[in-house]
Amino acid sequence: MKRKLIAAIGIAGMMVSVAACGGDDGGSDKKAGADGYKGQTLTVWAMDGSTPPTWTKDLKAAFEKKTGAKLKFETQKWDGIQQKITTALSESTPPDVIEVGNTQTPAYAATGGLADLTDLKSEIGADWTEALNKSSVYDGKQYAAPWYFANRVVVYNKKVWADAGIKDTPKTRDEFFKDLDTIGKKTKAEPIYLPGQNWYFFDGLTIGQGADLVKKEGDKYVSNLADPKVAAAMETYKKYQSYSKAPKDKDEATPQQAEVFAKGNVGAFIGMGWEAGTAIAANKKIEKDIGYFTIPGETADKPEGVFLGGSNFAVAAGSKKQELAKEFLKMALSDKFEGALAKENGVIPNKESLQSNLSANPAAVAAAPAAAGGGTTPLIPEWAAVENAPNPIKTYMTAVLNGKSPADAAKQVESEINKRLSQTS
Amino acid sequence: MKRTASSAIRRLWPNATAIVLFVVFAFPVYWMFATAFKPTGDIIAEDPVFFPTDATFEHFKKAVDADHFWTLVGNSVTVTVLSVLLSLVIALLASFALARMRFRGRRGFIVTFMIAQMAPWEVMVIAIYMIVRDSEMLNSLVPLTIFYMVMVLPFTILTLRGYVAAVPKELEESAMVDGCTRTQAFIKVIFPLLAPGLMATSLFGFITAWNEFPMVLILNKDIEAQTLPLWLSSFQTTFGDDWGATMAAASLFAVPILILFVFLQRKAVSGLVAGAVKG
Amino acid sequence: MSVQTERADTAAAAGIRKSDASPPGVGRDGENRGKSRGGAAVPYLLLLPALAATAVLLGWPLVKNGMLSFQNLNPRQLILHLTEWNGIDNYKEVLTGSDFWKVVGRSLVFTAVNVVLTMLLGTLIGLLLARLGKRMRLTLMLGLVLAWAMPVVAATTVYQWLFAQRFGVVNWVLDKLGWHSMADYNWFGSQLSTFSVVTLLIVWGSIPFVAINLYAATTTIPKELYEAAALDGAGAWQSFTSVTFPFLRPFLWSTTFLEVIWIFKAFTQVFAMNAGGPDRLTETLPVYAFVEGVGNQHFGMGAAISFLTILILLALTAYYLRTVLKQEEDEL
Repeated sequence: MKRKLIAAIGIAGMMVSVAACGGDDGGSDKKAGADGYKGQTLTVWAMDGSTPPTWTKDLKAAFEKKTGAKLKFETQKWDGIQQKITTALSESTPPDVIEVGNTQTPAYAATGGLADLTDLKSEIGADWTEALNKSSVYDGKQYAAPWYFANRVVVYNKKVWADAGIKDTPKTRDEFFKDLDTIGKKTKAEPIYLPGQNWYFFDGLTIGQGADLVKKEGDKYVSNLADPKVAAAMETYKKYQSYSKAPKDKDEATPQQAEVFAKGNVGAFIGMGWEAGTAIAANKKIEKDIGYFTIPGETADKPEGVFLGGSNFAVAAGSKKQELAKEFLKMALSDKFEGALAKENGVIPNKESLQSNLSANPAAVAAAPAAAGGGTTPLIPEWAAVENAPNPIKTYMTAVLNGKSPADAAKQVESEINKRLSQTS
Repeated sequence: MKRTASSAIRRLWPNATAIVLFVVFAFPVYWMFATAFKPTGDIIAEDPVFFPTDATFEHFKKAVDADHFWTLVGNSVTVTVLSVLLSLVIALLASFALARMRFRGRRGFIVTFMIAQMAPWEVMVIAIYMIVRDSEMLNSLVPLTIFYMVMVLPFTILTLRGYVAAVPKELEESAMVDGCTRTQAFIKVIFPLLAPGLMATSLFGFITAWNEFPMVLILNKDIEAQTLPLWLSSFQTTFGDDWGATMAAASLFAVPILILFVFLQRKAVSGLVAGAVKG
Repeated sequence: MSVQTERADTAAAAGIRKSDASPPGVGRDGENRGKSRGGAAVPYLLLLPALAATAVLLGWPLVKNGMLSFQNLNPRQLILHLTEWNGIDNYKEVLTGSDFWKVVGRSLVFTAVNVVLTMLLGTLIGLLLARLGKRMRLTLMLGLVLAWAMPVVAATTVYQWLFAQRFGVVNWVLDKLGWHSMADYNWFGSQLSTFSVVTLLIVWGSIPFVAINLYAATTTIPKELYEAAALDGAGAWQSFTSVTFPFLRPFLWSTTFLEVIWIFKAFTQVFAMNAGGPDRLTETLPVYAFVEGVGNQHFGMGAAISFLTILILLALTAYYLRTVLKQEEDEL
């Protein structure tokens, strides 16, 4: 009997002690040295694909040489990134510098989790392109620094176009439609692959129309999808989509449009320049046939409106290495590294003087003309919630493509959008 | 027993049904492996390619080449094995009491564990996150291990209880008549009979701990402390599902569990049946 | 593997219990009790680790979750470590909104359909396993085990891929079978079709557990019972209703209980399949809680919904839990 008891207590006791020891060793004891940066490590969160290897290696070397501190890049995946950033900002040792999507920056600025970088802007940001810096400013203060941007172009299959007898790339939207028509009639190819929920292309069309997706009502923002200008943009989208067999309720990622394009049976798709790489990875033979042109607008002198996707660098307010983080920003955003990133990744840099770095990249050359007239989604903190899956605007798009009138479709999703816009922070 | 013409038909239809069912159950698994081995061009084909004739390892290579893959494998194995072992030990004690002893509050305990089984862990992650954060335990395998342990604990207790009850009391008693103490009787007689039950029960734990995603996503942001489900989800980026790599990753992710199941579950069933016959 | 949760203790246990219960176990039980009188604390000590672990690691998060449900907790409050109590606002907002009750109704129907299909087909397949020859049984068992062991995330991705509009095999097969309107069918375009795919996935993944365990249970039914039934002139159907079914009943009960819990809580299958779309029409309760709480980052609201989810699950299983409470008294 005694032995049985001892055994039981022994095992139970062991369990408790295992759980108890756990409590002692979890804390991290990175201390911020008071003077000098030696021995410190600066942690930077960058999204998957943002930091090309050579750029990263050179930047690391230069940074470590100048400051004596270590630089650690942690590549983040897109899945669940919002929860990750929000929770990380609440921790006692958050990542010091974070890449934040430009459209999400206002929301994070409003949480109080980002450090004020107003003085950094006056130090190094005098010549940042105005349109690109917009998303970093919230309530009159600078909460992030513009890093890099990109916009969509038309990626086309030269062979398909040649088979259809088309010699030149279109300069206006009507010319583009006519070309798609010709491809449909003269070849067996699908003229364009455009799924129903390429929502950032649609956003670009609304920017081209000068439409706003939200409007202010009293002190609140509400949906403006019922605006005729939005409807006009949607009609344009619908016309494009009518040339495609792609699913009306999927976005460009399922299946990856570049992989569909890679089969060689598709005339064109609207996407980011680097998606050509995805196509080439799927089918090497497609490489020589790929060409790019700027998405044509209504008239030849003004390209279509585009959504300027991009990223800013922000510093966590809870970081204990504020000065070191600023050192990092100064170096990463210097002409040398900003220019190198533009060159290596084919992305649009944060100042116009650096655009010459794009010349070797035909996709970026096609993208650049539209950037000047580009825009973003509404830059209000409440907006981030609207884009959370399931994105009601995608629902709107599918509804219109399936035959609903834009006005009815707008009505259908209005309450969901308004609900999301009104959620308190 | 010896019917002739109609018995052929009688034997035919269960077999035919079985074959159809086999295809229904196995095809998605087959399709996962098949897709993983196909070149990308065959994956998105107007006419599906049913047998990957020119098989490629490119997707597997891509999946394994991911950053820190082997660290994550190590973490997943550690967390899964430890949490399952811990829960088995704790559950064995508890289930022995619940199956073999009579005491006040016994029913209450059983119902408590049944209710514990209903905990919606996915939507409690923020509460758990705040607890772990405030205990300064982020980026550690310890919280994962103990939370996974408790996730599978109720099921393990209730299931093991059945296995313990299935071991005939007479065996234990005769061992005690032979001069064993109750503890000795337990170790020498009951434990060997329980082994298949323990293995079978552990399967549930393995698959739960191996699959868990929402908690590790926000608790462990340091890649050194992450587990394989995060790696698996990383093939679905904003700009598309890389079907080939996703299926290759899914295959690699599933293989250990598949092997474990095929191996353990047969043992468990035969063990259970044997145990019953002996009784 | 055999699951023997409550009561059922499946066949093996029941079989044994039957044999040793026939000479009413009073004497032996009394003896047992006498032996353990000195160690009245033993069962509690044996239960202590399990109870302590559950209380700390489940109880604490539950309490914390309960507290969060009375707070206004959004990214701002989380990041700045602010505690803003807002009373029952979260509950008021959830319970007065029309969404919540729609989602509850949908979850109930969804659970009912899936559980019924799983139990029915699982039982039939389990009985089929018992009828098959050895080789066929192993073949079918292998298929079942493969489906069972598939990690849910992987399985969901495979199903998306099987049912993809453009390059999915399912549409291709339907088209080849002559149903040409299905060639380009979009399974994720409507509520019903999305639920059909999710249901197929869940039932596919749940049947093996039921079927294999049920088969294991049937193997332990004493042959004498059938012989006795045959002597009484029972046909196949009668011996099923008079021997097989009563023997399996406790097992079926406990399995149904488990399936209700598992299917009601199914999250990955629904969320990863179509993110609750189209138009949030396929959100079940856990998905709704996740989208509102974690997705839209209104953590207090999410906590309130998760609490209500627990209550509903308790209500669903209350009848079974009560039966257990009553039955347990007579056991041992």
